[in-house]
Amino acid sequence: MAISDVNPFEAPPKGANMFAQITDNVSRIAETDKPPRAWYIAFGFAQILLIIFFSSLGYVVWNGIGAWGNMMPVAWGFPIVNFVFWIGIGHAGTLISAVLFLFRQNWRTAINRFAEAMTIFAVVCAGIFPGMHIGRPWLPYYMFPIPNQMDMWPQFRSPLEWDVFAVSTYATVSILFWYMGMIPDFATFRDRATTTARRVAYGIVAMGWRGSSRQWHVYERAYLILAALATPLVLSVHSVVSFDFATAQLPGWHATIFPPYFVAGAIFGGFAMVVTLAVPARQFFGLKRIITIRHLELMNKVIMATGLIVGYAYGMEFFIAWYSGGKYEQFTFINRAFGPYAWAYWTMISCNVILPQLHWIPKFRQNPWCTLAIGLVVNVGMWFERFVIICTSLSRDFLPSSWGYFVPTPVDLATLGGSFGLFFTLFLLFCRYLPMVAMAEVKAFSPAAHSHADHH
Amino acid sequence: MSSIDAKKRLSILSNAPAASPSSSAGDTAKPTYWRSLAELEQSPEFLEFAAREFAAPLEQEPPNSPGRRRFMQIMGASMSLAGLDACRWREDKILPLSRRPEGTIPGTSRYFATAMELNGNAVGLYASSYDGRPTKIEGNPSHPDSLGAASAYHQASVLGLYDPDRSDSVVTHAGGARKTSSWAEFGKVAGAALTAQRAAGGAGVRVLAERSSSPTLAEQKRRFLAAFPAAKWVTFEPIANDGPRAGSALAFGRAHRTHYAFEAAQVIVTLDADVVHPTFPAGLANARVITKGRAPEAGEMSRVYAIESAVTLTGGISDHRLALRSSAIKALAAYLDSAISAKASPLPEFGAAQAAPAAEFLKDAKVAKFVEALVGDLLANVGRSVIVPGQHQPAEVHALVHRLNALLGNVGRTVFYTEDTAAEATSDVVALKALTDELNAGTVDTLLILGGNPAFTAPADIPFADAIGKAKNSIHLSLYEDETSERVGWHLPAAHYLESWGDAQAFDGTLSIVQPLIAPLHGGKSSIELLAMLLGNAEPNALELVRATHPDLSGEHPWRKALAAGIVEGTAAARVTPKLNPVPAVTLGEHELAGLGGQNGKLELLFTADPKIIDGRFANNAWLQELPESLTKLTWDNAVFISPRTAKELGVNDADSITVSVGSRQVTLLALIAPGHADGSLRITLGYGRKSAGHIGGLVSENIDPVGGNAYLVRSSEGYEIATGVSVQSHGTVNYRVSSTQDIYTVGDIGQQGTQERLPELVREGTLEEFKKKPDFVEEIVEHNPLLSLWVPPVSYDGHKWGMSIDLNKCIGCSACVTACQAENNIPVVGKENVAKGREMLWLRVDRYYKGEPEDAEVSFQPIPCQQCENAPCEQVCPVGATMHSHEGLNDMVYNRCIGTRYCSNNCPYKVRRFNYFNYNLDTIGITPYTPTDDPKAKVKAMVFNPEVTVRSRGVMEKCTFCVQRIQNVKIKAKNVKRPIEDGEIKTACQQTCPTGAIVFGDLNDGKAEVTGLHKLSRSYALLGELNNRPRVQYLARIKNPNPALTPAQAPKTEQG
Repeated sequence: MAISDVNPFEAPPKGANMFAQITDNVSRIAETDKPPRAWYIAFGFAQILLIIFFSSLGYVVWNGIGAWGNMMPVAWGFPIVNFVFWIGIGHAGTLISAVLFLFRQNWRTAINRFAEAMTIFAVVCAGIFPGMHIGRPWLPYYMFPIPNQMDMWPQFRSPLEWDVFAVSTYATVSILFWYMGMIPDFATFRDRATTTARRVAYGIVAMGWRGSSRQWHVYERAYLILAALATPLVLSVHSVVSFDFATAQLPGWHATIFPPYFVAGAIFGGFAMVVTLAVPARQFFGLKRIITIRHLELMNKVIMATGLIVGYAYGMEFFIAWYSGGKYEQFTFINRAFGPYAWAYWTMISCNVILPQLHWIPKFRQNPWCTLAIGLVVNVGMWFERFVIICTSLSRDFLPSSWGYFVPTPVDLATLGGSFGLFFTLFLLFCRYLPMVAMAEVKAFSPAAHSHADHH
Repeated sequence: MSSIDAKKRLSILSNAPAASPSSSAGDTAKPTYWRSLAELEQSPEFLEFAAREFAAPLEQEPPNSPGRRRFMQIMGASMSLAGLDACRWREDKILPLSRRPEGTIPGTSRYFATAMELNGNAVGLYASSYDGRPTKIEGNPSHPDSLGAASAYHQASVLGLYDPDRSDSVVTHAGGARKTSSWAEFGKVAGAALTAQRAAGGAGVRVLAERSSSPTLAEQKRRFLAAFPAAKWVTFEPIANDGPRAGSALAFGRAHRTHYAFEAAQVIVTLDADVVHPTFPAGLANARVITKGRAPEAGEMSRVYAIESAVTLTGGISDHRLALRSSAIKALAAYLDSAISAKASPLPEFGAAQAAPAAEFLKDAKVAKFVEALVGDLLANVGRSVIVPGQHQPAEVHALVHRLNALLGNVGRTVFYTEDTAAEATSDVVALKALTDELNAGTVDTLLILGGNPAFTAPADIPFADAIGKAKNSIHLSLYEDETSERVGWHLPAAHYLESWGDAQAFDGTLSIVQPLIAPLHGGKSSIELLAMLLGNAEPNALELVRATHPDLSGEHPWRKALAAGIVEGTAAARVTPKLNPVPAVTLGEHELAGLGGQNGKLELLFTADPKIIDGRFANNAWLQELPESLTKLTWDNAVFISPRTAKELGVNDADSITVSVGSRQVTLLALIAPGHADGSLRITLGYGRKSAGHIGGLVSENIDPVGGNAYLVRSSEGYEIATGVSVQSHGTVNYRVSSTQDIYTVGDIGQQGTQERLPELVREGTLEEFKKKPDFVEEIVEHNPLLSLWVPPVSYDGHKWGMSIDLNKCIGCSACVTACQAENNIPVVGKENVAKGREMLWLRVDRYYKGEPEDAEVSFQPIPCQQCENAPCEQVCPVGATMHSHEGLNDMVYNRCIGTRYCSNNCPYKVRRFNYFNYNLDTIGITPYTPTDDPKAKVKAMVFNPEVTVRSRGVMEKCTFCVQRIQNVKIKAKNVKRPIEDGEIKTACQQTCPTGAIVFGDLNDGKAEVTGLHKLSRSYALLGELNNRPRVQYLARIKNPNPALTPAQAPKTEQG
């Protein structure tokens, strides 16, 4: 494959048309009639999980949420763990596209598009859970401030109400940002279309993009503004999600460290998901020259940095529990590490704190498969982090008489596994039909665009 | 409190124009009212039309293929034809009112006094009636055995009334197969059988009855035996209580009942006796009196010593508890006699004292010290002490205790006697054995079983169940088609006590009239009616029979007074002072003298009545099955209790499956390690493992597994109460989920340590001495920063300010409040599986904590309702405002608004909120009041709901409301006549039924209210008050009165926990 020899971030070989090759390389993924076999296998697998997801949710709606393992005192179980997990995943996308854009980290262009897509799909997965976990899943609209004849109004002191606004704002801004970034690439698809259907479809979503200077000027202004709008969301959304816990009275939840700790954890988990997706994607779609080892290494460094913050937070929680002198707080943390859920706690510590340290070794962090392995490990660890926070704290709170032990049911596992089906289905469809790499942006920062830079 | 007697209602009904029997079509008289001119003229066309009216469609349509519409029409017509039968109003039945009688207001509840009898003792009750259906039971304050309290099984009896598994027809097994029959058919067969027997004086007739105190039943019995002089009447109760009867006969020559005046006792000693348990004679009243004498504010408290094998409720409230095998009690009583006789002034007329027994266990240092201190305390309080022996202890122990009480000068001061005229000469087991022998010999022609379930409850070595069939005619009257009904020729449905007229006596003989609240739902008859029927009265009228028994009440006024009061004043038996005979030297076997503990093969097994389902009679009552047992918090099960040390020695772990061998008999049961249990002792409660109880308690014919294990299988007439020489074999943990609502000893070391650390703060305790020295010691148990709030409280509570006080010194952990709450508030049952998952719905729970070493654990109980916090954590986190603060300080739940985020529960530090994970009412009892149904059984089930309380649906949160419906009722009543609400006028359901008055509710804005005073007491504290939730429930710290001789000199106990 000629194109795979071309690295857009390095000086092009003499005579190669860099721009055309980038366009060709990205577009043909969406244009081909025959996606790689791996795509079909992955899509089939995702479909099975998706069916499991919707049927298990249907089962829950039909029978009642007692089909899950939720009980008293652990009234929030897997659904909320999954919600926080997915919403955290999304953060990396926003960070890459918005924050790194503002900081002019140009390497982001290779990964920002599918990181953003990952954000959207993660938010979709996340958004399903709060709606489904409630006892009467046909009434979630009671949480929205809709004027109604029942004279009902949301209770704005509740962090769950804040969640409604935080998550919906986040979803809106992310979708806008993602979609706007794709417009020039949609236009490219439209222009390359060989069938009427494609031309019309991509033509509609390209919204009349012609690539004029004026359009580029407006586009870049808008992009900058949206990036500036999205940047605070990176901090705010997971801070608000952490308020669900931090504002509660429960030992193990009631902690001021939660907002920064959750944001760091979200970025940590999000980057892990990006590398988890990036490694197979570059392998199977021939994007090795666009998503390079350098990109993976940079992301691994972010994982390491945020992982250390998370590890610090774990330690600080223990310190504060001891330092505060609060009997219940101290018990919660000792119980977390050595009580009945110790297995979950040490899974979390191993996955989030210990194993990512392997990335100190340059050879390790430069190896795509090691990167993938650590990415998966961190994903598991971050899921367990939410499980540990929610379930261990709830299972043993103030009065020993009401202590309990949460055991998930098969339906819990089906909804958790099934949510990956939804995520991967959306992601695979994205890979198949949408511009997976931001072609226009990659071109802008490829050496070919600056071929005369060294002359100045 | 008003009562209306049926007669009044009936006269109202009979004044109503009787529905005229539909005039037959052939009647040619001119009608006064007419529908058409044709009818007026009585034209032939009309007459033909009228004759065809119902019959025609049936003839027109071929029966094999009716269309759907036609089918519905025919069915509708048949139904209305069938309905015509019910249009005849008969004067001797209570019917729902079709028009409003004077003085009744539809939709409001009215209370009627009645009484429920169990094992020959009646407890007076009030039953509420909503438009003619009873929904709630309360204790009758004027009844001596209730004093206003009711136990869990009294509360649950309304659920039993509406149990769809109750038998609804006469059933005959004549000819082998089960056939439904009718009372008329039965009357014919039974009449023939008895007529045949009359010639022989009824020599072939045997009656097997439950123990009853009913004078009317006694009168029927007398008449029956007069008619059949050669017949025999046998009484059998599985919870026999032979000990008190035989013991008093041994001591006094004749059977006597012992009554205790605990209010006059300074030292109370129980020998394996749970005197405060509702199953103990006058247990509810005992609980009230004993706890009343334990208020530290009075300056003086009684001191309770409990010597017992299993931890009982009495052991729970005791100041000192000695865990001792039940079989060692006899030697201990003998020792007490020897020790006290040696030191007390000699009383030669009482005969010689027992020799000090050479018992091994008495040599144990701890036991010796305990007994020495006890003897010292008893001698220091001559005439102010009381010793109470357990019901299942043998006659000799009872006789010795009668002697001890006499020696200590207690008789006439704290101990009183009445003659037990109803006592049978032989024990129930002997009588049942004789009856079984007669059955097997073929000499019994007609066997009439009045109530009970002897085929299930008979001792394992008496093959009564198999012998029933040997009688030519066997008849069983019972509420359910149970294990006995399956074996008899005729099963007859019995009337529930809320359905039938009767009478019953309290333990002291006080008479109560049992007043029905509703006509028999399933055509059942009471024992009284059945006997009258067999004596030739085809249509017996129980009301007339009862009235005939009590000529003193013949006038309308005394009768009404008796009905309204629920008791007949002055009918208590006269107190007597019987002469004490010398008690012969007791024989003590090897087991009774052995040391503490016991190896396998030498264990004892104590059989006791189950605190919830008694002998198995309430096994099909879902409220009782789901009620957590006081100590283990076990639901839907029974278990062998075993001490931690013995369990270790035998290799038994908590929740193991074990095989218990008693002689040649074996049964496999669940074992639970019970802290505080005596070593070498096992205890099992009776009544579980029923195979024909119903859809709740087990119905093998429909593949519904029995609940729990059947202890009757190893209970033989040898070792009937306490079996010895028992061995145990563990099968290890089997795949079995123990559905207990609280597990304290399975929480692991960390959980254990955490519990023990926080326990002194949660359940605050002190001694009387500490309390006297420092009345506010309770305040210092928790140190915390000043409680500040960012906000001014948004509610000023200008009007009412509801609060509750719970006295931990009074709570005995009996859990009657839990079932009362369930009955009052339509709390669903969730079933064993969901309890095991921690999803029980009980709004009020009674926490049980153990303190100290498992071997010597002390028990504390703490009822936890919603604390109705002023600064409620639940309210702040609900996103939809479904839990709101009322202006009177209640945390109101708005069910319609709740979408079920469950955040409120997560943020509740008391975890009192309950969530409907499923549609429990629909799933477990198959109905909600809002589900349209035509199934008559489902409709009967729905009658139990309290119409004043919303029945919650799936997916909403619920919790204690402080019985807001009761608050509103009184508020409305007071507002209507513009008067303030009096203190004590509003009682929550838990408060009303509490035997000890531990729960007090009232208005904290009322300076004179009892609750306000209690909140101001120095030992009042807020649970987790340091969280600044400002709960409206406050607890009164528990104060113990230990004997200084038994208190180890140590630093203040509270710091050690």
